[in-house]
Amino acid sequence: MPTGTSNSAAAVWAVLRKECRSEWRTRYGLNAALLFAVTSLTAVSMAAGRLADRTDVLSGLFWIVLLFATLTSMSHAFVREVEGRTMLLLRLVASPTEIATGKLLFNLLFLGVVEVVLVPLFMILTGAPAPRWGQFIELLALGTVSLAASSTLVGAVIAQTRGRGALFAGISLPLLLPVLAAAVNGTREMWGGHPVASALRLLGAYAVALLAASLLLYDHLWED
Amino acid sequence: MSVAAPVLPGSVRVAAAGVSHRFGARLALQPLSFDVSSPGVVAVTGENGSGKSTLLRILTGLLRPTAGQTVLEHDKTALPPRARRFVTGLATPELSFYEEFSAAENLLFAAETRGLPDPRGAVHKALDAVQLSPRADDRVGGFSSGMKQRLRLAFAVLHGPALLMLDEPGSHLDDAGRAVVERLVKSWSGEGLVIIATNDPQEMRLADRNIQLRGRGLGGPA
Repeated sequence: MPTGTSNSAAAVWAVLRKECRSEWRTRYGLNAALLFAVTSLTAVSMAAGRLADRTDVLSGLFWIVLLFATLTSMSHAFVREVEGRTMLLLRLVASPTEIATGKLLFNLLFLGVVEVVLVPLFMILTGAPAPRWGQFIELLALGTVSLAASSTLVGAVIAQTRGRGALFAGISLPLLLPVLAAAVNGTREMWGGHPVASALRLLGAYAVALLAASLLLYDHLWED
Repeated sequence: MSVAAPVLPGSVRVAAAGVSHRFGARLALQPLSFDVSSPGVVAVTGENGSGKSTLLRILTGLLRPTAGQTVLEHDKTALPPRARRFVTGLATPELSFYEEFSAAENLLFAAETRGLPDPRGAVHKALDAVQLSPRADDRVGGFSSGMKQRLRLAFAVLHGPALLMLDEPGSHLDDAGRAVVERLVKSWSGEGLVIIATNDPQEMRLADRNIQLRGRGLGGPA
């Protein structure tokens, strides 16, 4: 009977590969995310011109675009399984923790791909000053982990409920506000030439707390 | 064509003691007790809505019964609900596949996730057992109902489970498909245990034991 860490790793790896292949075939999330990023940044650029001297606005704008470009797709990772009636297949071949961890890794990868496109696009269209790359990448990495962990957790919780839309907003808001606040503050301080250690600590602690809570909760998600 | 058979060694015992289930106010499964062991074939029969599918979900560990207990022993070791999927193969009409993937890709995903030692070999064998090999690389989105049912059967036998649970296995199948079901059941019943939820007389004849559910069927909430 297959058990143990190596088989769990194999299951997580298989779920991650399945998610990547499915996204590649359907382009469900990537097209929508890139479309939102390009259109929203183009609209802001046309309306307000270049915002090089408004790093406070740029900090908020960057995280808003990243959040809204990716959130719907990431939180729908489980909803798609329910609506496609493939959740039963998943539950028969893997544990809830293996499934959710595979989807969390996919969401991290998804965010990374969107960021690779979004960051240079943002710089070009808004005229943002060059960031201090070390700090910016640290903020981006910790913000990405927190966003992916919270959206995966919310997606898993709401997937099998009836009032998904209302629940999604209700659960997401308190989970995402601290991430956004810390990320926006840190990005603004980074562009202002100030230390970002406190924002990084907050984002790091939040990411660890979210990941720990997720791993504890996942196994109890779908107990009928 | 090869005929798949259980590869997991060891005996299987499935028992229930006063097990019942409610979905809200509706009694989906009336209190039920039984004790069956491998080898052999057990038919679970009863009216539509009497709880056949619910019982299979409970035995597989997907659903926690509202009352009572179930036991699934493999090689005389009782398995907790979350470990039952390792020794159980379930084919049910509720099982759907990724339509953007081919039949082989769907099964390969299942085989790799289950950690099978030779995933591609297992997929080939399972598709062969249900005579779906010629359509292995076709996307499931283009499959007929009968082909999807064959794929469900292939999914159930993929890992050679000691306990095979088939929920209305002949639904949507033509005569050749029904012959596949019969061959699978016969090859499994030699060593493993097969539980078939059915009201089809042809499938009931394959069984050597019967569990009759006495639910209210479509008679309304209890």
